[in-house]
Amino acid sequence: MGDLGPFWLSIKVASVATLLDVALGAPLALLLARGRFPGRSLLAGALTLPLVMPPTVLGYVLLILLGRRSLVGGGLEQVFGVSLVFHWSGGALAAGVAAFPLFLIPARSAFEDVDPMLEDAARLLGRRELSVFLRVTLPLARRGLLAGVVLVFARALGDFGATLMVAGDIPGRTQTASLAIYDAVQVGDNARAGGLSLLISVVSIVALMVAQRGDRSPRTAA
Amino acid sequence: MIPSPATTLEVAIEHKVGPNLSLSVEFQLGREIGVLFGQSGAGKSTLLRLIAGLTRPDSGRIVLDGEVLYDSRARHDAPLWRRGIGMIYQDDLLFPHLSVRENIAFGLAGWSRPGAADRVREVAGLCGVERLLDRRPAMLSGGERQRVGLARAVAPGPRLLLCDEPFSALDLGRRSVLITRLIDLHRSQGIPILHVTHSPSEAVALGGTMLMLDQGRITAVGPPIELLAGQRRPSIPWTPLANVFHAVLEGPLADEGGSLLVLEGGLKLVVPGLDKPAGSAVLVQVRADDILLARGAIPGLSARNQLAGIVERVLSHDHEVEVVVRAGGLAFLVSLVAAAARQLEITAGADVVLIIKARSCRVLEEDESTPAPT
Repeated sequence: MGDLGPFWLSIKVASVATLLDVALGAPLALLLARGRFPGRSLLAGALTLPLVMPPTVLGYVLLILLGRRSLVGGGLEQVFGVSLVFHWSGGALAAGVAAFPLFLIPARSAFEDVDPMLEDAARLLGRRELSVFLRVTLPLARRGLLAGVVLVFARALGDFGATLMVAGDIPGRTQTASLAIYDAVQVGDNARAGGLSLLISVVSIVALMVAQRGDRSPRTAA
Repeated sequence: MIPSPATTLEVAIEHKVGPNLSLSVEFQLGREIGVLFGQSGAGKSTLLRLIAGLTRPDSGRIVLDGEVLYDSRARHDAPLWRRGIGMIYQDDLLFPHLSVRENIAFGLAGWSRPGAADRVREVAGLCGVERLLDRRPAMLSGGERQRVGLARAVAPGPRLLLCDEPFSALDLGRRSVLITRLIDLHRSQGIPILHVTHSPSEAVALGGTMLMLDQGRITAVGPPIELLAGQRRPSIPWTPLANVFHAVLEGPLADEGGSLLVLEGGLKLVVPGLDKPAGSAVLVQVRADDILLARGAIPGLSARNQLAGIVERVLSHDHEVEVVVRAGGLAFLVSLVAAAARQLEITAGADVVLIIKARSCRVLEEDESTPAPT
C-alpha cells in the first residue's frame, strides 16, 4: 500500500474539523434549542446551508473568504503569519464547514429533548447555570451529541470537494486519503486505492461502534 | 386575613394566567402544613410555580423567613438557586441519569463528602428509600419515585417545601403512606409545607390550614375538615385517606389468629394476623365508615376493638355526619348517617366508644417492591 501519510492526514483533518464543529456547534445548538429571539429560524437555516450546497461551491466560497487578498485571509496572515489556503488547516476548516450541520442538527434536537423542568428542578436544588448544564443538560443530551460527533467525524474523514478547493492536492502536505484514493485510481494503482479505502472504512465503522457502545451504558460521571 | 402567629411565608401577587384566569392572592403561612385546595383550573399549580420562582409574577411581593424573594416594585427577583425552596412534582422529575443516592445528594453540593453521605442516609431513612439508594429512577415504582423526590427536596434542609399534586397518580393505599411520611417529615424536620391538591381526602388527611382557591382568588382559610364540611357533594368522598396511624406490632394473639398493635398514643388494636416479627413498625388504617359509635362499652360483642374516646367536633352534611373522636391522643374520623347521630345524641364533648372490627383494620404496605419500613 505504501505511504500512509494521506491516511494520517485524513485522521488529523477530521479530528480538527470535529473539534471545531463541537466547540462552535454545541453553544449554537443550545442557543437554537433554548433561546427565544427574533431571527432564530433564519439563523438555523443559514447554519444548515452547508448540507444542501455542493461541497465544491462551499470550498470556493471559503477560498474567496480566506484568500490572501480577502479581509479574513489577509488579516489572518498579517496577525498570525499563517495562511489557511493550500495548508492542511484550511482543509480541516473546509471539512468542518461542510460537515457542520451534521453536528448541529442532532445536537439541537438533543438539547430540545431535555425537559426544561428538570433543569429548573436542579436550579431549585441550589445549582447555578454552569452546574445545571454540566450535571443535567449535558449528560441528558449526551446521546444526541455523541451521534453528532460520529457523523461529523465520518463526514469530514471522507470530504473531497471542499478540502480540495481550499487546501489543494499537494502530496505529502495537503493530500488526504480521499484525494490519494482518487489519484491512485487515476494512475491505475488499484492496490493503493483499495488499501486506503479499507483503512478509512475500518476507522468509520469503529467510530460508529464506539458511539453505540457509549450509548448503551446509561451511567455518566457523577 | 388573620396573620399566623409565626409567619414564614407572605404572598401578595397579581398574575394573568390566561385569557380567562387571573390570580390575585394575598396570604400568610406559618410553620404549619398549608393545603392549597381547589378544582383543576383554579390556578393552584401556577400559584405554586410563582412562589417557587419558576414563573415570574406580573406584580406583587413574596417574602420567606423575612427575606424578600420577589418584589415587583423594587425590581427584585431572587435567583432559583438561592431561594432555599424544596419542591416535589406530579411527574417526580427525578434525574434519570443519576442513581437514587446521587439524586438525593444533588442539593448537597456545598456539603463535605461525609456530611452529605450522612445526610443522604438520614433523609433516605425518613422517606423509606434506604434500600433503593443504588437504583436508577427507571427501576422504581410510582410510590418509590415520589418518596425519592421527597427525600431529594428535603435533603438540603429547605426553608419551605412546595408540593405540586405529587401523589395524584398513586392509588389510595400508597397515597395514605406518603401523606403520613409527609406529616412525619413536617414534624421531625420542622419544614413549613405548602401542598397543592384537588383531593378533599388528601386535604383532610394532611390537616393544617387550608386555603381554598377558586377562579384565581382565595375564598376561605381554615382547617380542611371544617371548610369542606360546607361543600361536600355526594360524589366526592373525602374520608378514604383519613385514620392512618403509626403502630408497633406487639405480637400474635395467643388464642386466635389476630395480631396486637400498639398505636402511637398507646392504644391497643387487634388486627388480622400479620406475618412480621414483633417490634415491627407499621401503618394501620381504619376507614371512617367502618367505625361504629356507641355511648358506652358493649359486653359480648363480636368486634374485637372497643376504644373509649371523647367527641371533639361534629360536622353535618345532608344525610351524613362526620365526627372527630379523640381517643388515646389520636383523632379518629367517623362517618355516620345523620339519623343515627341524632338518636345517639352525638355532640361535642360526649363520651363515646369506637367499635372497630379487626377485619376493618388495614395494615398499609409502602409499595410492592419494598416492605413497610422497619
